[in-house]
Amino acid sequence: MTRTLNRLTPALSRGVTLIAVMMLVGMLPWISGRDPAVSILRARMGEQNATPEALDAIRDRLGLASGPVQHMLDWFAGVLRGDWGMSWISGGPVLPGMMQALGVSLALMAAAFGVALATASLLCWPTLRRGLGGRDTRSSGAVAAGLTAMPEFMLSALFLVVFSVWLGWFPPYGWSSWSHMVLPALALGLPGGGLLGRLLSNAVAATFHERWIASWAVAGFTRGQIARAVLRRSLPALMPQVGMIMVAMTGGAIAVEQVFSIPGLGRAVLGAASAQDLPALQAGILILLLNALLIGVLANLVRVALLGRALHMGALPVPQIAPMPADRRLWLIPVSVVVVLIVLIAAGLPRDPYASQFVRLQPPDLALPLGADAVGRDVLARVAHGAMSTIGMAAIATFLSLVIGLAMGLMPRIAIGLIEVTKATPPTIAALIVVAAMGPSATGALIAVTAVAWAPLAAHTAALVTEARAQPHVRIAPILGVGPLRIVPRSILPAVFGPVLRHAMLRLPGNALALAALGFLGLGARPPAPEWGLILADALPYVERAPLAVLTPVAALALMSVLGVALASLTRR
Amino acid sequence: MSFLSVRGLCLSYPAPRRFLRRAAPLRALHDLGFDLAAGERVGLIGASGSGKSSLLRCLLALEAGQSGAIRCQDRPVIAGSALSLRWYRRAVQYVPQDPVASLEPRMTVARIVAEPLARLRVEGDHARRAMEALDGVGLDHRFLGRRPDELSGGQAQRVAIARAIACRPGLLLMDEPVSGLDMTIRAQVVDVLRHLSDLHGTGILMVSHDISVVAGLCDRAMVMDRGHLVEDRPIADLMRDPHHPMTRELLNAAPPIRAVA
Ligand SMILES: Nc1ncnc2c1ncn2[C@@H]1O[C@H](COP(=O)(O)OP(=O)(O)OP(=O)(O)O)[C@@H](O)[C@H]1O
Ligand SMILES: [Mg+2]
Repeated sequence: MTRTLNRLTPALSRGVTLIAVMMLVGMLPWISGRDPAVSILRARMGEQNATPEALDAIRDRLGLASGPVQHMLDWFAGVLRGDWGMSWISGGPVLPGMMQALGVSLALMAAAFGVALATASLLCWPTLRRGLGGRDTRSSGAVAAGLTAMPEFMLSALFLVVFSVWLGWFPPYGWSSWSHMVLPALALGLPGGGLLGRLLSNAVAATFHERWIASWAVAGFTRGQIARAVLRRSLPALMPQVGMIMVAMTGGAIAVEQVFSIPGLGRAVLGAASAQDLPALQAGILILLLNALLIGVLANLVRVALLGRALHMGALPVPQIAPMPADRRLWLIPVSVVVVLIVLIAAGLPRDPYASQFVRLQPPDLALPLGADAVGRDVLARVAHGAMSTIGMAAIATFLSLVIGLAMGLMPRIAIGLIEVTKATPPTIAALIVVAAMGPSATGALIAVTAVAWAPLAAHTAALVTEARAQPHVRIAPILGVGPLRIVPRSILPAVFGPVLRHAMLRLPGNALALAALGFLGLGARPPAPEWGLILADALPYVERAPLAVLTPVAALALMSVLGVALASLTRR
Repeated sequence: MSFLSVRGLCLSYPAPRRFLRRAAPLRALHDLGFDLAAGERVGLIGASGSGKSSLLRCLLALEAGQSGAIRCQDRPVIAGSALSLRWYRRAVQYVPQDPVASLEPRMTVARIVAEPLARLRVEGDHARRAMEALDGVGLDHRFLGRRPDELSGGQAQRVAIARAIACRPGLLLMDEPVSGLDMTIRAQVVDVLRHLSDLHGTGILMVSHDISVVAGLCDRAMVMDRGHLVEDRPIADLMRDPHHPMTRELLNAAPPIRAVA
């Protein structure tokens, strides 16, 4: 009985988590504590006063009098029937508009996935050629790692400035011809392609270290045959990552659609969030979550199909690859990034980031090194103060996610479902849920980033805990009278804490970028706070007249990405 | 009256799952039964995979057999919480095979030896009893502040023995306690064990591949073969006249018996 329960715990954990997320989405209107009737009246009738009678009439029509649980059940029943609710703003059904937007988003994501595949192939090509030529297959993967860390909203802004404004090759906004698709697909596909390319290169390199390659070469197989076999051997292990990359794209697409004004699902959901149109927001979040779930399941099915029987027989050889030798010069990159950031902060911190004391969009000069923004504020001051607040918030999020990750990782069997679901949730989707529940705010962004950032740390902790529990000095503990509770501070935590702390520190730049992305999308810090994402969003409408105001925060964000990549690749060796 | 009695003990491990279907479970122990008298020294030998470690895990209440009963001093031993097993942990202690790895690397020798005294709520001055136990295995006060990575293999095994005898158990279970040590150190550790057992009347059940170690320390030997107990006799009898083919095989494989110092 207990044994069966024990075996079922992970499955139960997954099921309970999914149901809990669905319930959370279903109850969002109540969690928000916002009276929908008031929102509706305000949206439809301008400044007209909300009389109690008018409010009651609306509540009645929406079936809101029945209480949260009943309403949630009604909502689910409606979802199953294809009735996803009525917009609080327009009064019409939300589903048709959302489906139309989903079509646009899927087209964008398909194009971006094509870009990702092409990027990955290009990145992997040198490794494959070296391997077929019998040479050493290790690669540093610096280009791929650099691409991986670039957030989509930053790439979008960069491409907008360079290819639309300066070079004029592609249209900046809209979604009516093929040329509209190029820049968004690049911005969305390149980071995923970088990650995929790096993983594929590593997998291919590892495969070339396996014994059968040599015997095949001796046996006279052609290079084409060997290349096909190597790819077939390397691809299946990547399928879970391909799934994760596509899920991440659903989050990234929201930002890309916002920058290029593409009428996709992300933009529709952001619109619903800023208007607090909760039925539309619920529908959008549900579609995004179902999308992520479906992708995960598909990726797993493809993996099983590719691996075939070998998966069940435990017959796969375990590839071994020697690590790259350490290079001292690698310290130069993170150190110089930190120095540049410190100089930037030192120069800008004494200046005032709030006062509109300059001419609108004033060009840079000696007294105003980075120019002024659209309301005449000092860009240098704003970026410097933004660095402080973004990095400070990221530090808080990192600390909180470390604590939660450690706690969850210590009970992996119970937390497994939560860890998996959270790992597959892009921060943007988490932020949408938080914004739906409590409105946009810097604290909300902090909660959203923390709510997602703990999962990789918990997974890492869980792996280390399993390792620690297999140690002889832990296994003997029960015989010495050390109970299961005391063993945690005695042996498990000390073994786990150091590596997980280092892992958390590596994620600090990534958390800073996630916070900036939320600020950029209007899901985080509010104006006039000097926050990097917000600074970029403020500057974007004037990109034609003042590209520098866009490029400055882009450069700051790029520095942050480089810092993250450099730190991560330093410690992996 | 026996100190520890085992009746009808059966243990099987679930077979690994192969894509929805589950093969028949693997039977590791078949209907074992024996008694250990107080202060008796018994060797347990058998080929690799014959179930020796599995039997020890059952005797340590880390694993519960599917059927059978273990009684210690006429109390039933049932795998359960740390609290409910405290009395049993004080009565039966354990010395593992790999002493260095079984000592918590972040603790000093003094704390390692005193830990079970504190956790098992043994009465008296723990520091003094730990010092006495270390004395008993021939380690002096200079070792108190050391950590496991500052000990040699033989010293670490002595610390592990001191940790096990600190609470004055009636029976010591050991899984290959000397197989990781080289020949001269092996003899010293066996000496320490014999001395302690004589001094305190502590019983010993020791798993060993090395029959010479068993012959030098124990009065009685049990032979296991594929989960069955196939011989259980005084060691001298058994070596002169092995009944079971497995015993003969094990005796032949062993190096010629030299007197263990
Ligand atoms: N945790 C486990 N799960 C499944 N099977 C196990 C487990 N532990 C042991 N077995 C199996 O039970 C049988 C007995 O194993 P055990 O470790 O008791 O042998 P042993 O006599 O101690 O061998 P050795 O002398 O090599 O240590 C073996 O066939 C082993 O494969
Ligand atoms: Mg064993």
